[in-house]
Amino acid sequence: MSTQRQGRDWSTLVLDIYVVVFFVYLFAPLLVMSLAAFNAYEYPSVTQWRGWTLQWFGELARDDRILQGVVNSLIVALGVILVALPLGLSGAFILTRLRGRYNNLLYAILVSPLLIPGIVLGISTLIFWGRVDVPGGLFLTVMAQGSFIAAYSMLLFMARLQRQDRGLEEAALDLGASSFFMFRRITVPFLMPTILTAAVIAFLQSIENYNTTVFAIGGDWTLVTEIGSRFRFGLSPVINVIGVIFVVFTVIAASVYVLQKERERKRKLAR
Amino acid sequence: MHELLRSYGRTLTGVFITLTAFWMLIMILLPQAFMIEHSLWWIDRDDQLGMRIDRAYSDMGLLEFDLGQADTPEGKADIQERIDGLKADIAAMEAEETAPPKHYGFDNYTKMSALHFEIFLKSIGYSLAVTILALIVCYPIAFTIAKLSTPNKAALLMLGLIVPYAINELLRVYAWLMILDYQGVINSLLAWLGLVSFEDKSWVPFLEYSGSVFVALIYAYVLFMIFPIYNTVETLDRNQLEASEDLGAGVIRTHLRVVIPHAKPGIAVGCIMTFMLSVGSYSVPQIMTRGKSGDWFSQLIYRQFFESQNWNSGAAYSFSLVLVCLGFILIMMKVFKVGIRDIAK
Repeated sequence: MSTQRQGRDWSTLVLDIYVVVFFVYLFAPLLVMSLAAFNAYEYPSVTQWRGWTLQWFGELARDDRILQGVVNSLIVALGVILVALPLGLSGAFILTRLRGRYNNLLYAILVSPLLIPGIVLGISTLIFWGRVDVPGGLFLTVMAQGSFIAAYSMLLFMARLQRQDRGLEEAALDLGASSFFMFRRITVPFLMPTILTAAVIAFLQSIENYNTTVFAIGGDWTLVTEIGSRFRFGLSPVINVIGVIFVVFTVIAASVYVLQKERERKRKLAR
Repeated sequence: MHELLRSYGRTLTGVFITLTAFWMLIMILLPQAFMIEHSLWWIDRDDQLGMRIDRAYSDMGLLEFDLGQADTPEGKADIQERIDGLKADIAAMEAEETAPPKHYGFDNYTKMSALHFEIFLKSIGYSLAVTILALIVCYPIAFTIAKLSTPNKAALLMLGLIVPYAINELLRVYAWLMILDYQGVINSLLAWLGLVSFEDKSWVPFLEYSGSVFVALIYAYVLFMIFPIYNTVETLDRNQLEASEDLGAGVIRTHLRVVIPHAKPGIAVGCIMTFMLSVGSYSVPQIMTRGKSGDWFSQLIYRQFFESQNWNSGAAYSFSLVLVCLGFILIMMKVFKVGIRDIAK
C-alpha cells in the first residue's frame, strides 16, 4: 500500500512539473512578444535592448491603415453576428424539432464548414460570388466567415434547445397564445443567455479570423489582414503594441469569464 | 414538419426554412460546387497565337499586292480565293484570341508539377506529425486539469489555457518569429554561450528550415487538442478511476482501458481540428517563412489566386485539400468508432 502511495506521489509530482513546463511554453513567447513593444529599437526585438519607451503606442495611434482596419473588423464582426445568429438559430430549430430521414445529412452539411480548412471557405466564396461579379471585400468576408460561425452558433443553440422544457410552449399554445406571441414570450427569453454567448463568440471568431478573410477580403483590409501584410513589408514594434493590447484585453475578459463561472458553480453548490 | 408548424406557425416555420436553405445553398453547397466546377476546366491560351495572326496579316498584304499585279482572270480568282481563305483563318484566330477555348477535364489535378506535389505531401506529413505530437503533449494536461485538480486549481489552469487560445493566431506565431529570428532569442542565447557570433553572421538560420513552421504550427494549434479532450475526460466518473485502481490496474492500464475509451470522441475531435487547422493554415507558414524557406501548400494556393491569376488550378488545389481533410475525418471516425454527431458538438 505504501509503495503504491509513494508511486502515486511520484507520478503526481512529474505531472505537476509537466503542467508547469507546458504553461511556461504557452506564456513565454507571449512575454517575449509583449516585451518588444516597449523596446526603443525600430526592429521588433528583445535582445537588442535600447531602453524602455512608449513611442510605439503613439505610433499605433497615428497609424491610419490600422485604425481603419479596426473599423473594418468591427463592421465585419457586426455583419457576421447579424448573419450567423439567425442562420444558426434556424438551423438549430429545424434540426431539433424535425426528426426526418435527412436529419443527419442536413446536420453534416451545416457543420461541414467547421471541418474544412478556413482558406477553402474563403476561396469557394470568392469563386461563387465572382460568377455574379461581386468582387472580394467586406461583404464577401461576412459571407465566408458567416458560413462557419453560423455553425458554431447552431451548435450552441442546439445544446440549449435540447434542454428546453417543451411543456411551457405547449401550455402557452393551449391557453390560446398565438405561435408568434409564444415564440417572443417563451422561446426567445429561454434562449436569451445563449443568444448573448453566441454573439460574443461570433464577435471574437470574426475579429480573430485570418485564413478565411485573407482570401475573401479583396482590396479591403481588416485589422488582422493588415497585421498579416505587415509581416511582408514594414514589420515594426507597432505590431507588438497591438499584441500587448490583445493580451491585456484577453486576460481581463478571460478572468471575468472564469470568475463568473466560479461564482455560478459556488451558487449551485450552496443550493 | 408537422411539429414545427404546430408550435411556431406558418410564418416562423417559413422563416426558419428559408434561412436554413439560404445558409445551406448560398453559403455552403453552391460555393463548394462552383469551386469544384472551376477546378474541372481550364482555358487554353496559345502563346504563339498573336504572332500567327500578325504573320497572316502580312501574308494577306502580300497577296493583295499580288492581286493588283495579276494579269489573267484565272490568276486573279486564284489569289482572291487564297485571300478569302486567309481572312477566314484570321477571323477564327482572332475569335480564339478574344475567347480562348475552354476545356473540361482533370488536368488541373493531374498536371500538378512534381515540386507542387512534393509540397502537398510535405504539408500533409507535417500536419500529421503536428497532430500526433499535440495529442501526446495534450492528453496528460487535459487529464490533469479534468481529474487531478481541485476545482479552484482547475479554474485557474483553464484560465491559463483560455488566454493564449483567445489571442490572435498571427500574434502567437509572431512571438515564435521573434524567438527563432536570426538575431532572435535563441540565437542571442547561443551567442551569449559563445556558440555563434552575430558579427560574422554565423547564427543558426532557423527560419530557413521547415522545422520552424512545424514548431509554430504546434504552438498555434495545440490548444485545439486540449479542449475537446478535456470536455470528454471531465464527464468521466471519478469512481470509475478508483474502481479500476481498486481492481489492481496500474496507471497505464487505467488509461488504456478506462479513460481513453471514454475520451474517444474528444480525441477524435481534437485530432480532426488540429490536422485540419495545420494543413490549411496560411498564417503560420506565411509568417514563419517570410519567403525565406520554401512554400507550403496553402501558400501555393494563395499564389495561384493572387499572383499567377490561375483560379482554375487554385480551385483544384483547394479541393484537393478538402479531400485530404475529408479522408482524415473518415479515418478518424473509423478508428475511434464515432459518428458525425459525436464529432461536431
